[in-house]
Amino acid sequence: MTTYRYIITIHSKNAPGTLYRIAGLLLRKKINIESLHVDEFDPVKHISHFTIEIILERGLMEKLIKQIDRVIEVTRAEYRVKKTNGKSKS
Amino acid sequence: MEKITGSQALMRSLVREGVDTIFGYPGGAIMPVYDALYDFKDKIRHVLVRHEQGASHAAEGYSRLAGKPGVCIVTSGPGATNLVTGIADAMGDSVPIVCITGQVAMAALGTDAFQEAPIIGIVTPITKWCYQVTNAQEIPEIVARAFRIATSGRPGPVLIDITKNAQIELCDFHLPIKKYVYKHVTKSFKRKLRAAADLLNSAQRPYILMGHGVALAKAEEAMQKLAEKGNFPVASTLLGLSSMATNHPLYMGMLGMHGNYGPNKLTNKADVILAIGMRFDDRVTGKVSEYAKDAKIIHVDIDNAELHKVVKTEIAIHADAKDFLEQLLPLIKTRQRHDWIKAFHDFDREEKKVVVDAELRPKSGEITMAEVIRILSEKTKGKAVIVADVGQHQMVAARYYGFRTPDSYITSGGLGTMGFALPAAIGAKLGNPKREVIAVIGDGGFQMTLQELGTIAQEGLSIKIVILNNRFLGMVRQWQELFFDERYSFVHMDNPDFNKIADGYSIPNELVKNRKDLNGAINRLLKSKKSYLLDVRVKKDENVFPMIPSGAAVDEIRLK
Repeated sequence: MTTYRYIITIHSKNAPGTLYRIAGLLLRKKINIESLHVDEFDPVKHISHFTIEIILERGLMEKLIKQIDRVIEVTRAEYRVKKTNGKSKS
Repeated sequence: MEKITGSQALMRSLVREGVDTIFGYPGGAIMPVYDALYDFKDKIRHVLVRHEQGASHAAEGYSRLAGKPGVCIVTSGPGATNLVTGIADAMGDSVPIVCITGQVAMAALGTDAFQEAPIIGIVTPITKWCYQVTNAQEIPEIVARAFRIATSGRPGPVLIDITKNAQIELCDFHLPIKKYVYKHVTKSFKRKLRAAADLLNSAQRPYILMGHGVALAKAEEAMQKLAEKGNFPVASTLLGLSSMATNHPLYMGMLGMHGNYGPNKLTNKADVILAIGMRFDDRVTGKVSEYAKDAKIIHVDIDNAELHKVVKTEIAIHADAKDFLEQLLPLIKTRQRHDWIKAFHDFDREEKKVVVDAELRPKSGEITMAEVIRILSEKTKGKAVIVADVGQHQMVAARYYGFRTPDSYITSGGLGTMGFALPAAIGAKLGNPKREVIAVIGDGGFQMTLQELGTIAQEGLSIKIVILNNRFLGMVRQWQELFFDERYSFVHMDNPDFNKIADGYSIPNELVKNRKDLNGAINRLLKSKKSYLLDVRVKKDENVFPMIPSGAAVDEIRLK
């Protein structure tokens, strides 16, 4: 199965439990987090910015991002492939 | 500004949301809330359940018939963890419920205090939203948000965990004026509407699959109008049942593993499928790679994450079912489809001959589950609310009750929770006391939550309980017979005397062992003003057919 390294960027309300909820969506599909960065992107509106790197089969990412986007606190969720020609790990 | 306690603020906030019924169970960490509730006895009816799981299922049943969220209030620790099954059930079936749990005081959080459980951590993956209140001042706003989130878009369960200090502390009470609108705002689908209409108008073999979303959007009438205008045959998922009368000429039956023969077979013959408010559950699709192979699929759902999740669709429309159906209607052309509709009738005749007739009207032998449902259906003229538990009887009730009005079949579809029916029937009766509520339960599921007979007795509710008792965990037994070489591993049950149990709760009851007694017993059940329980001994080794074997394609459905 061809897998890709994806970078997910998420904007959410800066609230306790948001990372846990997003991580839960990854966990239920047994997706490992390769790297993670969280900071407050907008200190006035209290918007957090997440950067999460994961390895995933092609075709599953679109479903996952919609589930992340469904989280009440999330205001924006996007992804991109980190290495466009990378069959990084299978 | 007026100072009141967090608990009083909670009560005022609940009343403001239109709450008049609460299912709950008190305990240490929720006592200030129960003390405030004491002063609201004239506005809020509190139903004391016998186990917190019962409160969560009752809230689900209530929500399904009252058209507003069911509310439960329980204490911290075990009170909260006992809600978990009901919360997961509500998540699986998109049922709006609001759960309020007590929690140890903020200072004690994370210290393994008495009856402390990290309920937010436990329920996060199975709630639409949850929040821990640690400050009384937050309560009015959080309650308002919780109700909006539970009911907007795709509904679901929410949980508010309130620490004991926040229940006691004083706050300035003000009702939030901000109108909360959550993510359900869908993009305009006007452009896709035309394309969907063109596809349906040019189809030779169009087919509508309706799910729970039709009932949730109150789109039953719009659904029927569309089907009638285009002459589209309609089939329903388990949770879509009763959204269209089963005697409507365009209603073809139920989809899925134990659905009807034609609706499953012809899924793979349709050339255009319009799927509304349904999510292509694995029990509906069977083997996905062989599902609806010849069809272009138009999928309409209010939850964007459901679109393209299971099947590839030609047109995916993120919309409310009613909005979509009403806007689609004027674009649909009327066409006759005699051959296509006849194909359904041909399969229906075959199913009747091989399966249905013998089950509904057996001449001899033990009572069948199907004939009990048939008699209930005839005597109630299809107008009762059937609350089914999980297992063979659930499928039989779904297949043979002749639904005539919407919101008449309540069951646990997604999670498949045994023990759901009895407490859910309590909620359903309180959600709409005018309707006759009949709980149809297997002997296995009944023993999972039978303590709620105490709630029924104490509240003086009129709920009709029919136990289809085959002294087996029938569905598992059926699988063991068909797929595990008849190795019946732990599926036999030595049951207690259910009539004595009902006697213990002063609920009138009867034991029915013979066919000649069935009719009279059901008459007495339905005539009774009070609750009434029938223990009906049915055939021990009955199997539910048709059946799509696990992992098989929809058109590999078997009649025997």
